[in-house]
Amino acid sequence: MSTLELGAPRSMYRSVRKYAKIYRASLVERMAYRSDFLLGTVLRFLPMITTILLWQAIYKGGEDSTQAGFRLNEMIAYLLLTNISRIFSSMPGLAGGIARDIREGTLKKYLIQPIDMIGYLVSYRMAHKTAYVVISALPYALLFYVCRGFFDTGWPDLLTWVAYLVSLILAFFVGFYFEVCVGMVGFWFLEVTSLLYIVMTLNFFISGHMLPLDFLPPFWASFLKALPFQYMAYFPAVVVLGKVRGQDLAIGLLGELFWAIFFMMLARTLYTRGLRRYSAFGG
Amino acid sequence: MVASLIKYARMWASLGRYTLARELSFRGNFLVKISVEILWLFILIAFFSTVFGRTKSIAGWDEWQYMFFVGCFFALNGLIETLFLDNCNEFAELVRTGDLDFLLLKPIDEQFLITCRRIDWGCALNIPMGFGVMGYSLYKIGGPVDPLSIPIFLMTFVSGAAIAYSFMLTLTSLSVWMVRNQSLMEMWWLFSSLARYPREIFVGTWASPIGVFFTFFLPILLVVNVPSQAMVGLLDWRMVGFTLIATVLCLGASRAFFRFALKSYRSASS
Repeated sequence: MSTLELGAPRSMYRSVRKYAKIYRASLVERMAYRSDFLLGTVLRFLPMITTILLWQAIYKGGEDSTQAGFRLNEMIAYLLLTNISRIFSSMPGLAGGIARDIREGTLKKYLIQPIDMIGYLVSYRMAHKTAYVVISALPYALLFYVCRGFFDTGWPDLLTWVAYLVSLILAFFVGFYFEVCVGMVGFWFLEVTSLLYIVMTLNFFISGHMLPLDFLPPFWASFLKALPFQYMAYFPAVVVLGKVRGQDLAIGLLGELFWAIFFMMLARTLYTRGLRRYSAFGG
Repeated sequence: MVASLIKYARMWASLGRYTLARELSFRGNFLVKISVEILWLFILIAFFSTVFGRTKSIAGWDEWQYMFFVGCFFALNGLIETLFLDNCNEFAELVRTGDLDFLLLKPIDEQFLITCRRIDWGCALNIPMGFGVMGYSLYKIGGPVDPLSIPIFLMTFVSGAAIAYSFMLTLTSLSVWMVRNQSLMEMWWLFSSLARYPREIFVGTWASPIGVFFTFFLPILLVVNVPSQAMVGLLDWRMVGFTLIATVLCLGASRAFFRFALKSYRSASS
């Protein structure tokens, strides 16, 4: 066995240990702001009250008790669940931070240290999400307990739970690598904040955060379901509601995996090409 | 009094010209900001068009009455964001750094200088866009418009903006003690999210008291509801009268609170 073959697993182990340490340090840092997190989570619950009331009024004004395959209770359960999807897929400040590092030249900190920027950011974001999930678990559990009446389709089976968990984890990667790709545009255009606003505003609607994509006319619903944005809010919610099953579920999860890998590769390509253009000045 | 009002109006116009010139020196960014606002209006319209494809009315508001409500909210929110939001957002930073000293030393009313210093022209287009949606909705509703409802609408629209401004000023004043105002701005967002829906959706055992509280005690639900109702719903004179009284009370109370907060300000300089 050559030295090269022995060295490869050792170097991989060292690499995993390095990013695990970044994860741990970021987690400790994030947990320091737990009260701010908690307050933010509780405040975010309040608009849900008006959302629930709005949808009750919408269903009351309609002739059918089922709209686009959703009963009122399912609709409200869906809107509550999209918040869980967004916990995993939303990446506040990620693309803007990358663009700022490029613009201000602070990107060089990754270039002069044995740390890969994308690897560092994955560890950092995972820590951020872990802290958020841990801290917001209690208020969310309370919210879902109070709203348990809306979840009247019965307890999902084990397979659905597993599929839901997988869809949420993949939602994290789709959201993360998508934002990284947007941030990488900063190598070519100095100011991406405005582009970011457009993408995020549009994402709010086309990811199904405002309403299930099934409510849209058939052409638009099919079109948006072919895009990656549905995985950031719509897809995980309909999985746990049991609206996607069997073959459709498998195809959906494979589609989500495809988009996660696609954006991962695109982010890596953009980073490599961007670095060729990048130049930093100053002492 | 009149001379003073003219002086402040001229000063506001000058500040407006200055901020416009500043904004136009970053034209690309300015255009994208406007595009985001247009996009957001289209998303709102798409959302409610989709909803009205499946229902006839929302809490007694039919499609075009509701679209008028959406336009009114968009215009009013645009007005607040254009004139005051950025200024109030910056107040905590002025307190933290002690730069507020420079503003307090000027021979101009502190409240005016702090809340009206800058105009965010990137949001200004929301106002005509909102009025455009209202105009189109009125056209779709059809029928003659009661001539009396137009001045009532304009009066309650201005009152609504004044009430919203009062709430923003109160939240801003808290920065003197809290220094960091991120949660305060989140509170503002929550307030505005309450204003964006009709008052009639607050029905039922637990929702009804919330509706009453935010109508008569913290009257944020009056802001869009009363002007919209004056134009496309049933004109309720009692609500119009109450809105005008609430406006005066809110403006007075928020100014008193702001001045009280300023008294607690301890400069950050050494």
